Amino acid sequence: MRRRAVTVTVTAMMLSCLCAGCGQVKERVNEDGESVITVWSPTDEPAIEEWWVEKIEAFNEQHKGSIHLQREAIVRADSYAYEDKINAAITSNDLPDILFVDGPTVSVYAANEITLPIDDFFTQEEWDDFLDSSKQQNTYDGKIYAIGATESSVALYYNADMLAEAGIRIPESKEEAWTWTEFYDAAKKLTKDGVVGTNIIMDKGEGLPYVLEQFWISNGTDLVSADGSQADGYINSPEGIEAAEFLNSLIQDGYANIDPIQKEFHNERAATMLGGSWEVATLENDYPDLNWGVTYFPVADNGGTLTSPTGDWVASVTKNAQDLDAVKEVMNFLFSEENVTTYAQAISKPPTRRSSYDVLTEYNEYPRSLFKEQLMETGHPRPRTPSYSVLSAEFSEALLNIFTGVDAKEALDAAAAATDKDYNKYYAE
Amino acid sequence: MQVSVNKKSERKAAYIFIIPAVVLLAAFLLYPALQTVRYAFTDYNIMRPDRIKFCGLNNFVELFQDKDFWIAVKNTLYFTVLVVPFQTVLALALALLISSRRKGVSIFRAAYFSPQVTSMVVVAILWTVLYNSNPSSGLLNALLVKLGMEPCGFLNDPKTAMNSIIFMSAWQGAGYQMMIFLAGLQGIPKDQYEAASIDGAGKIKSFFYVTLPGLKNVISYVIMITVIQAMKLFTQPYVMTKGGPQNSTRTLVYYVYEQGFQKRNFGYACAVAAVFFVIVISLSIGMKKIIKAE
Repeated sequence: MRRRAVTVTVTAMMLSCLCAGCGQVKERVNEDGESVITVWSPTDEPAIEEWWVEKIEAFNEQHKGSIHLQREAIVRADSYAYEDKINAAITSNDLPDILFVDGPTVSVYAANEITLPIDDFFTQEEWDDFLDSSKQQNTYDGKIYAIGATESSVALYYNADMLAEAGIRIPESKEEAWTWTEFYDAAKKLTKDGVVGTNIIMDKGEGLPYVLEQFWISNGTDLVSADGSQADGYINSPEGIEAAEFLNSLIQDGYANIDPIQKEFHNERAATMLGGSWEVATLENDYPDLNWGVTYFPVADNGGTLTSPTGDWVASVTKNAQDLDAVKEVMNFLFSEENVTTYAQAISKPPTRRSSYDVLTEYNEYPRSLFKEQLMETGHPRPRTPSYSVLSAEFSEALLNIFTGVDAKEALDAAAAATDKDYNKYYAE
Repeated sequence: MQVSVNKKSERKAAYIFIIPAVVLLAAFLLYPALQTVRYAFTDYNIMRPDRIKFCGLNNFVELFQDKDFWIAVKNTLYFTVLVVPFQTVLALALALLISSRRKGVSIFRAAYFSPQVTSMVVVAILWTVLYNSNPSSGLLNALLVKLGMEPCGFLNDPKTAMNSIIFMSAWQGAGYQMMIFLAGLQGIPKDQYEAASIDGAGKIKSFFYVTLPGLKNVISYVIMITVIQAMKLFTQPYVMTKGGPQNSTRTLVYYVYEQGFQKRNFGYACAVAAVFFVIVISLSIGMKKIIKAE
């Protein structure tokens, strides 16, 4: 009898767990009858947090009685905590209405029908105002799935004193950008007295595909095919292997550290650095005594493609959104000309709207003008493939393996095989 | 009659008392464990929970042919086999050192225990800095160079990465086992040592013939929990090496995380987890049998 009681209790409890797991879809309306629209985005620096508070207040004031906007800031650090939370919400069908995601993952969410196309959220005229690099990144299968306020780019920062002392030429236009050979020779010349020639991002994470994919593109290939369906023959093509071997030569010959210290360039322990556009503000504010400059992303020898990284976090609309009219209203507000401009200003990143550059005139002057130029003329977003999560992890791992002694072809073949396996398992027709 | 009624109501009360524990265990252990087994037979991708298809033994067939999986098994076992004796001996040595002192015992105890109080993530980040392969920024390598030796790759060299993790893990974990040993040492009656010394036993002999036999139960308990903890190694490779370089620190639990959450291959990760569960259970049963037999 008692045993039965226990069994019944446990079964009942398990059933209730199951029900809780399925979860009833809650109606997203508050007690004042307002449509509640929730935004998830990673926690950011104070200026951006303030921007959110101010903008949300303004929006809610304007839409009293109809829409209530709220934001949940989620700590991301440099790990996958944010993605873990999204994964959990996907399983429990409890995604927010508006979800911020990292640029290259737009296609992952789109391919899995977690986010919705937003082509009709903005007029054609408005879309035309957005940079192509940003729209390109946010497009999957011909439709736009996300929109961002800011962009990013990476260029080659240099310590002006060290370069002058070594008598190294500084490119004045993008056509004069250093070739790989020049980059290597400069790094070689500049490596001395505890200073390494260059700092190539070595964060063992997303930074690697973000910055280093460009070496593949410049050498005439990419990490995957244009439609994102195949990695074999791209990431591990002869050109790709050559790119990996070039990067490896910088590490093996001691001109770049595999384990760089924090702010290696800022602290004058590296003479050059492939650094993001956001470093301009850091260097200006926190390292006023450093005599630095910035020049174009290096290009492959013998007429390689001029290229530079792009991409930033963007907002997408999830399948769990209920009141799409209200969501559209919010998106139009968040990505209006004015708000894109103020957001970009607060975060010190280049804006995605062309019109914002009329207001943010600092982008007409060096050094910011260089990033604007790269964005508009040589920017390439990361690969658009539903298997991006696998590709990114595999690419980072392959590079680290190569830098610690594995044959480049062998490492890249393994990355290609793992990426293609994922694509064929879940996405191939 | 009266007695039996009392017993009956006592039993009833007992069941009521264990209900919260049973409910919690079932909700957070049993149910997820059963779900894991269920998902192990599906092609569940975390991004598409509404398109889960049963795929039979596919995941397991794939798993047994998966080179990375076997490397993870090997790494996990290597870590366990090395860290358990190292950490246990270290803990015992620290406990003996402290118990033989009269002054400043509490200071030493706190000092040796403090790494244990610190979060593993913090300790791991700290050691990543210590282990930095560049002599101009890594403290250990700076020391090696000062002593006229070649700098060591530590976490960047597949030959030394796992050993580096073993060393720091033992350093971090030994404090806890030391406390258990200290308690055990206090339980050994003083007169046994007196008797031994009357029989002419020196310090070393009394350690082997009095201390060790007196700690037998404590030692087997310590080994058991250290083995189980070692099998679950995750934080250190996650923070310090991301499983690299060249797979040298990819452990089973890290592999489960990587497959399930990073690559979103949830069905496959569940299959790995299920096999991992079988390995841990058989290890525990095996160890219990050996300990009992002794």
